[in-house]
Amino acid sequence: MMGRFIIRRLAVGGIQLFVLIIAVFLLIRLLPADPVARFVGLNASPEAYAAAKSNLGLDQSIPKQLGDFLGVTGGDGLLQGSLGRSWVTGDAVAAEVARALPVTLELLTYSFLLACIIGVPLGVLGAVRPGGAADKGTLVFGLFAGSQPEFSWAIMFIFVFFVVLGIAPGPLGRLSPLTDPPTAITGFMTIDGLLAGRPGVTAEAVRYLSLPVLTQAFILSGPIIKMVRQNMAEALQADFVLYARAAGLPERQVALSALHAAFAPSMTLIGVLYGFMLGGAVLIESVFSLGGIGQYAIRSILAFDYPAIQGVVLIISAISLIVYLLIDILHAALDPRAAL
Amino acid sequence: MSVAVHDAPAAGDGLLKIGAIIVGLMTFLAIFGPVIAPYDPTAATDTVSTPPPPLIDWPRLFIAQFDPEIPAPHWFGVDAAGLDVFSRTISAPRTDLLIALTATAFSFVIGVTLGALAGFFRHWSTELLMRASDILQSFPVFISAMILVALAGRSGVNIVLAMTLLYSPIFIRLTRAEVMSLRNRGFVEAARATGVSERNIVFRYVLPNALGPAAAQASVTIGFAILLTAGLSFVGAGVRPPTPEWGLMIANGASQIVLGDWWPSLFPGAAISITVFGFASLGHALERRYGR
Repeated sequence: MMGRFIIRRLAVGGIQLFVLIIAVFLLIRLLPADPVARFVGLNASPEAYAAAKSNLGLDQSIPKQLGDFLGVTGGDGLLQGSLGRSWVTGDAVAAEVARALPVTLELLTYSFLLACIIGVPLGVLGAVRPGGAADKGTLVFGLFAGSQPEFSWAIMFIFVFFVVLGIAPGPLGRLSPLTDPPTAITGFMTIDGLLAGRPGVTAEAVRYLSLPVLTQAFILSGPIIKMVRQNMAEALQADFVLYARAAGLPERQVALSALHAAFAPSMTLIGVLYGFMLGGAVLIESVFSLGGIGQYAIRSILAFDYPAIQGVVLIISAISLIVYLLIDILHAALDPRAAL
Repeated sequence: MSVAVHDAPAAGDGLLKIGAIIVGLMTFLAIFGPVIAPYDPTAATDTVSTPPPPLIDWPRLFIAQFDPEIPAPHWFGVDAAGLDVFSRTISAPRTDLLIALTATAFSFVIGVTLGALAGFFRHWSTELLMRASDILQSFPVFISAMILVALAGRSGVNIVLAMTLLYSPIFIRLTRAEVMSLRNRGFVEAARATGVSERNIVFRYVLPNALGPAAAQASVTIGFAILLTAGLSFVGAGVRPPTPEWGLMIANGASQIVLGDWWPSLFPGAAISITVFGFASLGHALERRYGR
């Protein structure tokens, strides 16, 4: 039952991913951008232009380019696990993405943890006393936080905590430029510091992450409050709550069992949000120069680096789909009706 | 299944009022902002990097404005390029709001029309449409918008087209679901019995009753479209400088923030915060009133 459910979801996800990557591949080639001119400059001779065009493979027909990208024409391509080489750096896109991805995952993981610590109690508080002051307050806070421009808050946090108060480090990346980074094992700077036996590095990484995480968690707490509040309110309307109340259970215990019922749907929505945020942490990464997948996407897009653009979209979409799948499996395990 | 989620009516009405006031003010600025701006929003003044006057002086400065001899103060200060931050902040809605409203209007019209057809008729083409929406919805929104705008050319028109493509699926999905729930209702049967054509049933009878969720979503989408427009220009993939646009202003101010110049980015940032919150509040109030 569960096995078939997972296989069906994997198949659908795989097809979806395949269509998506082909769509991106064709889309960037159909748009009126001229990457060749970007690389050789506008004053290049026609010979230099033609040479660069052939170097980038853009003199080939689009089906041939697609075949090369997929790896069905003999060379290394997607089927062989290669995402091609960046036109800007000449390095393998897969390796560059693998370096950038943990940065984003680290930022998002800590931000989600903090946002849930703030958002879940507030959402529950709003749902248990509908119409009360706490309900109104959390409703307005949730709406407000969920509709904020993270980049402008990030800049204001830098002003207050770095420029004025001097208690947070400047937006210079993940560690001080003077610190020798530990060997990347997990890619999470906070964990690699410990693994390398350098707790000082971990402490520094935490300090450098504090403002980005604070900003991101503030924005994320909005939708999380809204979802938890909604699911909790729905659970409190269920018959089992009516029964529990009729049976005379104390209100605290009633709320706890409703929270249990609200857990699975809330988890699902938070997972969807996590997948969505992989491509949505772009602006915060950029403000704090973290060098994550979003900043890599900005650099690639502005440089018309097609292989890198394709790689970024593919990886982000693939991870989102895997997150959704894991969440669905978890949901089905918590609530078997979902796998039907 | 509809579940009543209680909000105090007071909170709902308050949000509706706040939302309506903010949306009204921003619409006013989108029309008249550049006209009432005291300085040219794209021309340098004779000072640079000047902070705004202290709040305590504002009433005195405001009264002094009735004397036409006295030049307008720089209410929000002057940025590093010598541009008046107040004039730019109130001129920006013409860019940000216009782009967001146009993109949302296109997405709404396209999405509602296709959604009504997909919900009413079962056909391979409507199935294909829904699969295409699935794919579009699985695109990472910000990165896809960046790709489309950067590669098609940085202009307001291209931002509108990119957002139309990315935001239409949500309207298709909402309208389709609503139409499907209305498809077998009595008034449809009644219309059919009196000889109304299928096309007229969809667009004259069913669709007007199915617009609630999409209308509430539209207000929320306008807010997100403003965030996206500003975000794109913040990373250099949106409208070009020196267009008065909030995201560009924040990006320019960002380089000055470590020097302690907070005003070039605070005011446009606050303008986005307030505007998007206004549209979100209005959307929330509409959703509670007319949504599912």
